[in-house]
Amino acid sequence: MIGDRRARLGGSDSTIADRIPLLAALIVLAFGVFLLRLFQLQFVQTDDLRRQSSRNYVRTVRLEAPRGDILDRKGRVLATTRPAFAVQVIPNELRRPDRTLRALASLVDQDADALRNAIGSPRGRARFQPIQLVADLSEDQRARVESHLYALAGVVTDVRPRRLYVEGPLAAHLLGTIGEIQRRQLETGRYADYRQGEVIGQSGIESLMQDELRGRAGGRNLVVNVAGRVEGMLDEIEPVSGGSVTLTLDLDMQRAAEKAFDPEVAGGPPRMGAVVALDVRTGDVLALASKPSYDPNGFAGGIAAETWKSLVQDEWRPLQNRAIAGNYPPGSTFKAIVAAAALQEGLIDPNRKVFCPGSFKLGRRTYRCWKDGGHGAVDLHRAIVESCDVYFYHLGLEIGIDRLAFYAKAFGLGHTTGIPLANEQGGLIPTSAWKERRFGEPWMLGETVSSSIGQGFDLVTPIQLATAYAAIANGGQLLKPRLVLRSVDPDGNVTDGPAPEVVGTVPVSPEHLARVRNALEGVVNEPGGTGGRSRVPGIRVAGKTGTAQVVGLEHTDNLSEEAVRMRHRDHAWFVGYAPADAPEIVVAALVEHGGHGGSAAGPVVQKVLAAYFGVSLEPPAPSAAAAPVTSSRVAPQPPPDQPDADAADGVPAAPTEGDAPEDPHAGD
Amino acid sequence: MPAIDRRLLQNFDWTLLGLAGILATLGLVNLFSATHQPEGLSDEMRRQLIALGVGLTAAVIVTMIDYRHYERFALPLFVGSLGLLALTLLIAPVTRGSRSWLFGGRVQPAEFAKIALVLALARYFHRNPPGDTSRLRDLFWPGVIVALPVGMILGQRDMGVALLTLLIASTYLPLVRIPWRAWAGVAVAAVAALVALWNFSLAPYQKERILTVIDPGRDPLASGYQMNQSRIAIGSGGLFGTGYMQGTQTQLRFLPTQHTDFAFSVVAEEWGFAGSCVVLGLYATLLFWGLVVARSSKDDFGALLAIGVVGCLFWPAVLNVAMVLGLAPVIGVPLPLFSYGGSAMVTTLASIGLLMNVSMRRYVF
Repeated sequence: MIGDRRARLGGSDSTIADRIPLLAALIVLAFGVFLLRLFQLQFVQTDDLRRQSSRNYVRTVRLEAPRGDILDRKGRVLATTRPAFAVQVIPNELRRPDRTLRALASLVDQDADALRNAIGSPRGRARFQPIQLVADLSEDQRARVESHLYALAGVVTDVRPRRLYVEGPLAAHLLGTIGEIQRRQLETGRYADYRQGEVIGQSGIESLMQDELRGRAGGRNLVVNVAGRVEGMLDEIEPVSGGSVTLTLDLDMQRAAEKAFDPEVAGGPPRMGAVVALDVRTGDVLALASKPSYDPNGFAGGIAAETWKSLVQDEWRPLQNRAIAGNYPPGSTFKAIVAAAALQEGLIDPNRKVFCPGSFKLGRRTYRCWKDGGHGAVDLHRAIVESCDVYFYHLGLEIGIDRLAFYAKAFGLGHTTGIPLANEQGGLIPTSAWKERRFGEPWMLGETVSSSIGQGFDLVTPIQLATAYAAIANGGQLLKPRLVLRSVDPDGNVTDGPAPEVVGTVPVSPEHLARVRNALEGVVNEPGGTGGRSRVPGIRVAGKTGTAQVVGLEHTDNLSEEAVRMRHRDHAWFVGYAPADAPEIVVAALVEHGGHGGSAAGPVVQKVLAAYFGVSLEPPAPSAAAAPVTSSRVAPQPPPDQPDADAADGVPAAPTEGDAPEDPHAGD
Repeated sequence: MPAIDRRLLQNFDWTLLGLAGILATLGLVNLFSATHQPEGLSDEMRRQLIALGVGLTAAVIVTMIDYRHYERFALPLFVGSLGLLALTLLIAPVTRGSRSWLFGGRVQPAEFAKIALVLALARYFHRNPPGDTSRLRDLFWPGVIVALPVGMILGQRDMGVALLTLLIASTYLPLVRIPWRAWAGVAVAAVAALVALWNFSLAPYQKERILTVIDPGRDPLASGYQMNQSRIAIGSGGLFGTGYMQGTQTQLRFLPTQHTDFAFSVVAEEWGFAGSCVVLGLYATLLFWGLVVARSSKDDFGALLAIGVVGCLFWPAVLNVAMVLGLAPVIGVPLPLFSYGGSAMVTTLASIGLLMNVSMRRYVF
């Protein structure tokens, strides 16, 4: 064996061996510390660290619940939820990004560079997170993408519920909009169990019935790795769809109401206004339309800033719900209430005749009747039928403004009806005290003259006029408009909507109301009546025309000449109910700048009534001779046996275009 | 080369082989979990198996040559290792901030330098018995021997390995007889050196790592992140662990460098306090056994070699576990026999071969 000369045999006398216990102690010390530390981490702190661990690898994904359906009174779907298919890309899994993106771009009809820019160049964890490229694929695009997915590594599709308004703009104002919950909404108690980012109803039925329509969101606990890539699923709670809401609305009538606003000639100017149809027995809102409208589907996936801007800045204010928020002078529709007030006050003998020479003098002022030649001697019945202004100037002065206001308010005018929609306007019924308060000036008699034919300060909304005429029709009950028939919550529990609610009884005796009703039927059906355009074959219709004078123009700077001319035209009213002997339904229609109540608004009411009674309005083949009065603006031909029926109040019998009569109702 | 003596086989150290074998096997089992992938064996697993084969071969060769020959080879080996380090400094590419890999990143010369250093120091102290070393100035030459490789490793910007090499050399310090007053002087000098190091030599990320140990919440996304994830993995293991291949921190890759530096975290997560104690216990037993071998060596050179090998196993294990447990900064020191890494595996097995060599020949004379 090879030995080392210096090797000392025998370890026992070695000083090295003496020091080995020192090294052993070092080892014991180190491993002792380790044991203590392990004990601390794995015994003392283990619960906390386990929680941190699960926070690491569990990602909870919220599964949005489909929003419930909104149905019309016959169960037809107005708003529902559909699946929206999105295309996403997981950058890390893209193979040959250029080729894949070019292929994808052609499948979804987009530009490959735009897609590439949308992806950018994510780093780190972001490389594993899906990036949404297209939020809502069309049916075609979806079919194309899904059939090519096998060749598009890194491209995935995702499905989310998205609101669908089946009828597009139909009843948009009533249905309302949805949108992300806002910070100030979150701070209120109503949205206590909501969280940021949730989509809620922001207006209309969507907002009113939010609790019922909201489903219960589910969730999914996913296992993710350090890159955020999903490796598996721990558990899942299925979302529960929202309940359904059945409205009092009737889709057919709503459709008829909105269709009545279609341009008279294809490509013609848009027609604006509002229609409200109520069941006079229950207050059920059967139709509620406001024109111009918008497509609420634009709000379903978060509205694009551009769309929103154009809606808000639109000259014709499509977002405004004119049916409840449009304040208009009631015009001659007010006469029915003046008549009822006068009868109840015992101020007139309904058979006494007043001579109408075509104008009325009060002091130094002359107030004209709409009919230049005057109506001659008219009693109450004829005054309503022919809408004689002079007769009502007399009546108004006899009643006095404050008594008149008392009755108008009793009919529900001048204050909100209580329809459960936001932004309802109250309108305005002036009194002498109001004027003193508002202007610090005493009431003038001339103003009473204006008010007695619904001009001057008076302002009403279409829904108010509908409830007022419903009260006339149903014998005096003022009803609160009702929107919801019943609702079903997410668990399937059915709740009936609010019961019909009588909010007041008009202080007019039944026989007086009957007399007014009789006259209103005459408006539509008697010779010389202004409402002949509202007749529905086989149905006894009653109602009143009105022409709301457009007093002033707030701004005309950036309007075209045609728009300015249009804005000078009066608003047209017609409020009608049927059947006249046993009323079921009242319809109030306002056509902004429509001109004359009988000819512009009457046909709107006629069409809605026809839809209610299921009557066809196919025009009987008219001969040219039978319709001597032609105007491109007059849509339906008048019934040939009533040649004077198109003489609406406020307009000469044969209007000529652009030749508006001199303002017949100069206030003062 | 001497024929294999029958007595050598009779004296074969089964305990040492058993301990090392169990640890290496557990290391492989653990590596399998840490690098688990659905499709077949991971590359790391395959390379580690190759390294294990190479290491075993090296260990057998190292064992067969009587260790007393190594005293003669010590100097040339040492010079050779310095040459390799110098070569590395010159030609190695920069990988992960340091210049420490040769041959396309397969060989880490600093690993082999540790063994060469142990041999050189054993030779020195054999010729200059540590019992006679009573003055600081007696440590001049050993100091030079240590400073050469440590300096070159520092030159590679590999702080961890430099520190480790220094600590391995320090294993011999308890053997010398220098009075405590002298050590106090050394301590002052050391503090001064550390301050200088902190201010002039450490890269910001290195300082950050050290500060992170003091305050782990400091920067949870950078160096604190690793430490935090390791703590979470260990803690969520609890008493008995999440189960093999069931650790979410490991399997979902929240643990950083879990197959190399943080291999012990995988053990702690998947096997819990019980498994961690078993592994640490095996290490402690192996180290104690190394000391037993040193004590029973028939000559001082053998004892010095055995102590050096114990140092080669002890210090990386301590640094690694302390780092994993959040007691020391994150310095890239692998856990011997457990961590993935070919050079470390081969040198560790070769050093165990040295220990076996000394152990088998304790009755030879």
